[in-house]
Amino acid sequence: MEFNNQEIWIGVEDLTNDKAFVEQAKQEFPSNINEALQSENDGFNTNRRDFLKYLGFGVGAATIAASCEIPVKRAIPYVVKPDSIVPGVANYYASSYVNGSDYVSILVKTKEGRPIKIEGNGLSKVTKGGTSARSQAAVLSLYDTHRIQFPGAVKEGQVNKMTWSALDQAVKGKLDATSQVRIVSHTIMSPTTKSAIADFQKKYPNTKVIVYDPVSSAAILKANEINFGIKAIPNYRFDEADVIVSFGADFLGSWISPVEFAAQYAKKRKVELEKPEMSRHIQVESHMSLTGSNADNRILVKPSEQGAAIAKLYNAVAALTGSPSVSAPNVNEKASKALTKVANELVGAKGKSLVISNSNNVNEQILVNGINAMLTNYDETIDFAEANLMRQGDDSEVQNLINEMNNKAVNAVFILNANPVFELHNGDKFAAGLKSTSLAVSFNQTIDETTSVCQYSAPANHFLESWGDANPKDGHYSLIQPTIAPLFDTRQAEQSLLTWADSAPQTEQPMYDYLRTVWQTNMFPKQREYTTFPAFWDATLHDGVFEIAENKTKIFAINLDAAAAATGITQPNSSKDALEITFYETVNMANGQHANNPWLQEMPDPVTRTVWGNVLSIPIKFDGSQFLSVSDLKDGDKVEIELGGKKYTCVVVRQFGQMEGTVAIGLGYGREKAGLCNNVGTNIQTAITSNSAGLPQYFASNVKMSAKAGHDDWFACVQHHHTMGVTALDNGKQINADEKVLAFQGSLVERTIIRKSNLKDVKELVKVLEEEREEHRRLNSYTLYRGHEDQYQSGLHWALHVDLNACTGCSACTVACMAENNVPVVGKFEVQRHHEMTWLRIDRYYYGDVENPNTVYQPMMCQHCDNAPCENVCPVNATNHSSEGLNQMTYNRCIGTRYCANNCPYKVRRFNWQDYTTADIFPWNERDLMGSTLGFSTEMPYGADNLTRMVLNPDVTVRTRGVIEKCSFCVQRIQEGKLSAKRESRKIQDGDIKTACQSACPTDAITFGNKNDKESTVSKLRKSELNYVVLEEVNVAPNVTYTAKVINKIEKLDA
Amino acid sequence: MSAIVSPTREPLILGSKTYHQITEDICRPTEAAPSKEWILGFIVAVSGLGLYFFSVLWTVWNGIGSWNLNRTIGWGWDITNFVWWVGIGHAGTLISAILLLFRQKWRTGVNRAAEAMTIFAVICAGQFPIIHMGRVWMAIFIFPYPNTRGPLWPNFNSPLFWDVFAISTYFTVSLLFWYTGLVPDFATVRDRATGWRRKLYSNLAFGWTGSAKHWQRWESLSLVLAGISTPLVLSVHTIVSFDFATSVIPGWHTTIFPPYFVAGAIFSGFAMVLTLMLVVRKILHLEDYITIQHVESMNKVILLTGSIVGVAYLTELFISWYSGYIYEQFAFYNRVFGVYWWSYFGMMLCNVVSPQLFWSKKLRTDLWVTFFMSIFINIGMWFERFVIIATTLARDYLPSSWSYYSPTWVEIGLFVGSLGLFFTCFLIFTRIAPVVAIAEIKSILKSMGDQYVKHNTVADHAHHHDEEEEHAHGGLGHH
Repeated sequence: MEFNNQEIWIGVEDLTNDKAFVEQAKQEFPSNINEALQSENDGFNTNRRDFLKYLGFGVGAATIAASCEIPVKRAIPYVVKPDSIVPGVANYYASSYVNGSDYVSILVKTKEGRPIKIEGNGLSKVTKGGTSARSQAAVLSLYDTHRIQFPGAVKEGQVNKMTWSALDQAVKGKLDATSQVRIVSHTIMSPTTKSAIADFQKKYPNTKVIVYDPVSSAAILKANEINFGIKAIPNYRFDEADVIVSFGADFLGSWISPVEFAAQYAKKRKVELEKPEMSRHIQVESHMSLTGSNADNRILVKPSEQGAAIAKLYNAVAALTGSPSVSAPNVNEKASKALTKVANELVGAKGKSLVISNSNNVNEQILVNGINAMLTNYDETIDFAEANLMRQGDDSEVQNLINEMNNKAVNAVFILNANPVFELHNGDKFAAGLKSTSLAVSFNQTIDETTSVCQYSAPANHFLESWGDANPKDGHYSLIQPTIAPLFDTRQAEQSLLTWADSAPQTEQPMYDYLRTVWQTNMFPKQREYTTFPAFWDATLHDGVFEIAENKTKIFAINLDAAAAATGITQPNSSKDALEITFYETVNMANGQHANNPWLQEMPDPVTRTVWGNVLSIPIKFDGSQFLSVSDLKDGDKVEIELGGKKYTCVVVRQFGQMEGTVAIGLGYGREKAGLCNNVGTNIQTAITSNSAGLPQYFASNVKMSAKAGHDDWFACVQHHHTMGVTALDNGKQINADEKVLAFQGSLVERTIIRKSNLKDVKELVKVLEEEREEHRRLNSYTLYRGHEDQYQSGLHWALHVDLNACTGCSACTVACMAENNVPVVGKFEVQRHHEMTWLRIDRYYYGDVENPNTVYQPMMCQHCDNAPCENVCPVNATNHSSEGLNQMTYNRCIGTRYCANNCPYKVRRFNWQDYTTADIFPWNERDLMGSTLGFSTEMPYGADNLTRMVLNPDVTVRTRGVIEKCSFCVQRIQEGKLSAKRESRKIQDGDIKTACQSACPTDAITFGNKNDKESTVSKLRKSELNYVVLEEVNVAPNVTYTAKVINKIEKLDA
Repeated sequence: MSAIVSPTREPLILGSKTYHQITEDICRPTEAAPSKEWILGFIVAVSGLGLYFFSVLWTVWNGIGSWNLNRTIGWGWDITNFVWWVGIGHAGTLISAILLLFRQKWRTGVNRAAEAMTIFAVICAGQFPIIHMGRVWMAIFIFPYPNTRGPLWPNFNSPLFWDVFAISTYFTVSLLFWYTGLVPDFATVRDRATGWRRKLYSNLAFGWTGSAKHWQRWESLSLVLAGISTPLVLSVHTIVSFDFATSVIPGWHTTIFPPYFVAGAIFSGFAMVLTLMLVVRKILHLEDYITIQHVESMNKVILLTGSIVGVAYLTELFISWYSGYIYEQFAFYNRVFGVYWWSYFGMMLCNVVSPQLFWSKKLRTDLWVTFFMSIFINIGMWFERFVIIATTLARDYLPSSWSYYSPTWVEIGLFVGSLGLFFTCFLIFTRIAPVVAIAEIKSILKSMGDQYVKHNTVADHAHHHDEEEEHAHGGLGHH
């Protein structure tokens, strides 16, 4: 026996070098391992006690598992990962937002194949990267639970499912070559849709397209046809105009192309101190429109006086330019005086001025053209070289159709993205006609008022699921591309038409191929840059837009008979005491097209600051000691108004700037079949009348308004105090009216919230700001604490700047913020008790003359204070400061004491009072959006269903009940920007990171950047002498600053 | 404890009591069947408690959304109730600690009940900061304990965090103080009891035998606790006032808050003691122990603290005007004439104007006037907190965010319910513990008993036959 000489041995066998052991050890795979395992298994006997244990555990575990309702979460992995999709990385696709007569060139942000956000497309020369609130909200309508999910026959407001082939057969069965077919649509901007209709017409030659606009601009078209032979809206150049006079046209909010106009307008409104110049904007109107609120001067005329006011200006300009005057009725004395002065301004800016009107009276539009012609504005600030094609509707045609339908002269009516039954004032007649037509098919996406009286529903795709194009202006084309496969069994309307005409391409993607063909035939030849169509297509699809200079011909012969036109203007209401009403298009709702979009319903109206419903604006007066209104009505009171024999119950708001003797109400509310948001506000559509030319007139005279008839208990208005000191005369002495009512003189205007001036006094403002700044800094230098500014001197330090002169209050940023940051929709009841969750709000203050004040809009979001008062009071450190100057919220650390919200001087913090995003599903506490308690019903609160939740931005935490949230400066975008820079091994450059509000803004009012970078735009803006900090003396050291508001007001215009 | 007593002092124990009679009188409520009034009161209180539980459950279940607070006004009735209850909780310590140190003999008649009241008031107060978060289970985050969340500590800068310690310290010390005082009395009750009650009180009395050593230790402990509590009387409400004073909100950010809050707290605490004692003395027939003298003394404190509070209100107004700071000026203008003007006038009327009646001896010794006044003051002090919290928040810096707030039934339910919780506790207390400190009252019998203080009763020794027996039981002990 030989002993192992190693120092270490394992057991006796090793020590004694047992032969079998050595053999075993040499083998890499011991031969008996299987045996060993086998024998172990043999030993694995389950005895009775073990069995009982396993049984007990098993039954217990199964019981527990079975008794907990575990939500089913479906996650389906890619079998083959698409090249373009990297989880966590967003893809952007260029597309176009076209709805009603709105057009915005957009980029669609998709995450893991879901469109979640709309951004502006900076390559477009029309909208220049700007967006509107409506386009921002479009992504939510994709996930609308009330979309029609399959084709079918419409019975009692329901779609009874059919297959597409069955529907096609049914439709085609009722059509033949002699059929009188009418396609009813809003303005068709798409060349491809037009082409598809043309193909349809080849098979059914008696097809006519009836086009109208949700809110009509037909008079402009007709006037231009008469004057210039061009039936189009001209191209307006607000960026070229030094003096802008608008008769009621809300060109910054809703008129024609507000995104485009706002960008142009803002260019001339931003003030540079070296050259203090800006355009002058005079608005002639009766109610405070968004555009009017931005004007330097407002001239108040009653709606029925508008024609007379236009004629007055015509005559005043004619007198100065030596043209013959026209005879016209008188306008009120104040306005008359003011318009004479305005004429001087206009003539002083000949060729650099612009006069527009929203009047839907052809003769008034002819006079407006006449004024512009006298001012030689044509081919300067107005041209037809790039004529605007966003409004092509002629209301007389749709009125004819109603007659045709009721006379049974029509065999088939197709409804293409229009809702005439609601939108038209005589929608009931349209409905009756439609019912009596043998074939009525709707392509609409929801069971709206019109679809529900059609026979068939052939639901079209949402535009985010569609191929298409748009031609918003001459020479400007843009593409629409799908960003997600159709969610439901829907089909593009064009494809349906082509199918019924048997001319659809028989390919896998018929619309794609059809669109390509149209572009290959029509657009490709217009350019020289690309030699092959695929190259041209790829480039255009990438850019989203294709813009060429075509049709640069100048005007023209002007055929204008002003004297004749003057006889056809609206005659002012002879009774001075008669109450008149204006019906206006709101910024969010258009003419009801957006009624089912909770984001837009919950977007506060920029002027009235109300949500979830339209309100009747009534004038407010100051009697020397208090504010008065007719019948002593208060905000939220209900009244009954009677016009044309019909009665409407409205909720009133006392509106500054509303002319005495007039009231105003927004259009597009009170839809009964919107889907989710039914009967929101007052349906006023039926009060609209047409003039003799068949054009709807958006005003009425001789309105009777009742005294208070109840109160809206859920009157939802996000701002209860509206002014920042409006002035009035008290015994000949100028006083601040609301300070008199509220407290003492100076109690509002001495707050350093709004800094403002008239352009001519801007130097004085600079001085005041300087003194103030110095005083604040002196006061703030007395501190008990060692400063910590040095921590923020190097590296990144984020700052945001808002130019109050560029901000028009359009609210695109508000909706963009909701979309980007998963801000929940809370509904009317919750907003009524100030539970709105908006991270970014636009405070609106009036100042100046109490009867005709000016307005300032102040976007207000978390100010990311370096001495944040919220941070030191949080007991659990849930809110704290990042090294980059961000005031951060750690949601899962927040315990909900709300001290931070109380201690925020800007009141920007929002508490999740309930489980609004249903992150935790506490559904029992919620109400639906209309305010009814859900209680124990099985209905889910808004935002709980998986379809709506597809819109959530996966980069942003969905907050649960009981935590505070607020603006984060879009920290997810900052992070993305930093990571991109890191990946590319470079420093962050100015402009790399844009917050959602900034990128949404059509006027570049918001700038974001690193304030430690001396060259960044935001640093330069912060150095401007007009830059100021809201509430600087509180010494919270915000990182958000504002440019003081400067207006270019003519003082004593109407004196 | 015997000190020279001026012969002009009015006696604090009436009815020529003997030691035995005192024991009999005060122990009776714990031994006899409850009176009808007690049962009625208990039913009402327990109903309130039920409402409280229901409201708390509703809040936790539904979230703070079941309240009407909003984006501008983040605190309303919840924190108003919190501060109000904490304020009420101040009388107990003041009476036990500061008056003990000052050798105020009249405190013996009311200190037991006042301390009990303090404890129950602090219990009520402590609920609200937790409930007002909605998700009550998150409350643990506020405690600094080594945790698995990394080196994550609470924010030591936050006044809310200081609150946690101020309130919990105060509660602990008050409870100890109260219980220490109860030990000899529990022994007295034990000695008289039989059966299960004897066992119960035997445990509660911690084996108290009344030995000289026990008394000596008891005295020392009382004194030590009094020493600890004395700064607490000042610190607790000072820290509560920091919840507001350290903020940046005009109307909250004022240096006057600590003294003003402390004075207000004592003010409301005494008012609540009076409310309770006036009822208790009647129902439990303790008129001989809680005399007009006691009531008058407390009314004097009320007059003093009420006037301090009044001066504070006026100082605030003056300083806001004098500051030249527009936000401050507006905040106080708004307090007086703003949307919540009625609460300011309610506060002024109840807290400042009405206590001035107590300058009149006739009125401050009138029980009905005192009773109504005590209720008045508690209403006024509730208004004061509401004015400070809701009115200030409703109109702060940015006019765009101004708002208004009125409570939902849940918030009202919580407040009314917390009264239920308080009275339930208090009523149970009157059945279990002697509501007047037997040992302490006996200690002043010879100096403040009417038979000793009033000249005509000096010779009246006839009733003192059982004095020796009392000594043997250890109820009074050695002095």
